[in-house]
Amino acid sequence: MRAIGQRRRPAGVIAALIVALAGIAIASTAIAQTTTAQSAGQPPAEPKPPDQAEPKPAAPPEAKPPPSAEPVVTNNADSVLGKKVIGPKGENLGLIVDVLVDTSGKPQAAVIDFGGFLGVGSRKIAIDWRLLDFSQLEHGRTVELGFDRAQIQAAPEYKPGKPSPAVVTTPPEPDATQKNP
Amino acid sequence: MNDPALPLVPAATRPKPAEAAAASRGLDGLNLLVANIQTGFGPFISVYLTTQGWTQTAIGTALSLGTIAAMASQIPAGALVDAISKKALVALLSILAFTASALLLAVQPTALWVYVAELLHGFSSCTLGPAIAAMSLIVAGPAMLGLRLGRNARFASIGNGIGAALMGACGYYVSERAVFFLTAAVTLPTIVTLLPLARLRDPVLARRREAGDVPARVPVLSLLTNRALVIFALCVALFTLGNSAMLPLAGNILTKEAGNFASLLIAGCIIVPQLVVAAISPTVGDLTQRLGRRWVLVIGFCTLPIRGILFATLGHPATLVLIQGLDGIAAACVGILVPLVAADVAAGSGRYNLSMGFIGLAIGVGATISTTLAGWIADAFGAPTAYVSLALVGVVAVLLAAVAMPETRPPT
Repeated sequence: MRAIGQRRRPAGVIAALIVALAGIAIASTAIAQTTTAQSAGQPPAEPKPPDQAEPKPAAPPEAKPPPSAEPVVTNNADSVLGKKVIGPKGENLGLIVDVLVDTSGKPQAAVIDFGGFLGVGSRKIAIDWRLLDFSQLEHGRTVELGFDRAQIQAAPEYKPGKPSPAVVTTPPEPDATQKNP
Repeated sequence: MNDPALPLVPAATRPKPAEAAAASRGLDGLNLLVANIQTGFGPFISVYLTTQGWTQTAIGTALSLGTIAAMASQIPAGALVDAISKKALVALLSILAFTASALLLAVQPTALWVYVAELLHGFSSCTLGPAIAAMSLIVAGPAMLGLRLGRNARFASIGNGIGAALMGACGYYVSERAVFFLTAAVTLPTIVTLLPLARLRDPVLARRREAGDVPARVPVLSLLTNRALVIFALCVALFTLGNSAMLPLAGNILTKEAGNFASLLIAGCIIVPQLVVAAISPTVGDLTQRLGRRWVLVIGFCTLPIRGILFATLGHPATLVLIQGLDGIAAACVGILVPLVAADVAAGSGRYNLSMGFIGLAIGVGATISTTLAGWIADAFGAPTAYVSLALVGVVAVLLAAVAMPETRPPT
């Protein structure tokens, strides 16, 4: 009768209803096209190239990088959405849920869903992209961050839609903000 | 307040003592395991879909679809359960739908299949709850239903607690995906608990089939204009509006302030109320008979404003866990009263499950508005203001219950 957390908490009811109806339409037309449906349900909050890639592309299509791109090591490129972020002692800090980019498409910050238990009580925190170490992504499938829980727990919550999201840049000043046009 | 025109469930249709004991144990196990399963379908789904590379918007879409499916099917599902005599069959099909839903989520977490899983789960939740209540009514009879529902609530809360611990450990040590395989696995023993309940038949439908002279079911409209039912639904909707955002809000504060122990404390906030429910449910069931429904409702509702004020004033993380114990009192009272008041109003009318669906819809509306409203207030004015606002909604619920709710306990 009464399950934990009373089930489901959609962010904005009316918006959610509309999005859900759109979702049904998508589902009925685009069978099994997961990534299409996901990006179609995405309001224009901010552009994020990394998640437009397929979930696990060994090699992204050549069309992805800008024409003048230097030859990046495309063999090792991987999706970061949903990847675990671990702290210096290997502790689980949360999952990457979004990537914030600037107008040139360069990643500026990763939004991490931090803490919580069974999905209850987590907070979204934006972390400066340069603080994340992706070198273990292909082996351990985790992203490393040099901070422990105590250092980022008090960071201001990331709110999508705000013009200048608070981004954690260094541990002592978690309130440093950064423009994200 | 039983309408004299509505025939009570006759004692003759109740099972014999030995069968009743077995059926009672079946209900114990059923409540425990179903609560266990429902833990897997809770907010954890969003964590799981995130690990599968889903965007937050897409997750919101899928979960909203589940919420809408559950709300839209409350009343039709209730009517359907009313029309089917073999309630154990309804329960069996609902549980199999849970199995399918959990397996779909585990094996194929892509958009279409997650939507299908959410729809399946949303609808079958609406048939399973009323089916369990209907079987409880057949086994215990209207006079002993309060005690039976107390037992149901006790076993359900034990199942919730075990589920939270088990699924939490499974997600942490094995994988997020494994949680859904585990959920699917738990549905199998759940089916076994239905065996002693398989022979139960709806007495109202049985009598209508045997003797053609039994009056038809009361019209739906006369039920939905029943003052007790409407006031009660309004009361629990208001209570849920004030209640359901409290835990997520407290969890959010804990994550911000409690550092390395935050997840453990949130787990405590989930499990402590379940322990309280397990401890006090039989007593609450007894009180519904001795004090009456209305006073149990008022007592349960009173804990909500107290909890809101304590949350707003006592900031220390560890005290939040203790204050959550108050949620257990409210959960026990509301969990027992929903099927009980529905039985007071509609037992024997052939509209019992429809009434439960009506109340379930009211609860769903309250829960949906609650988190959105509290999130918005917390963003704009801070968490203490959000707690106090939720507490004020609780005060309104208490007043409405105390002033307008008629006593529905049948005369003994």
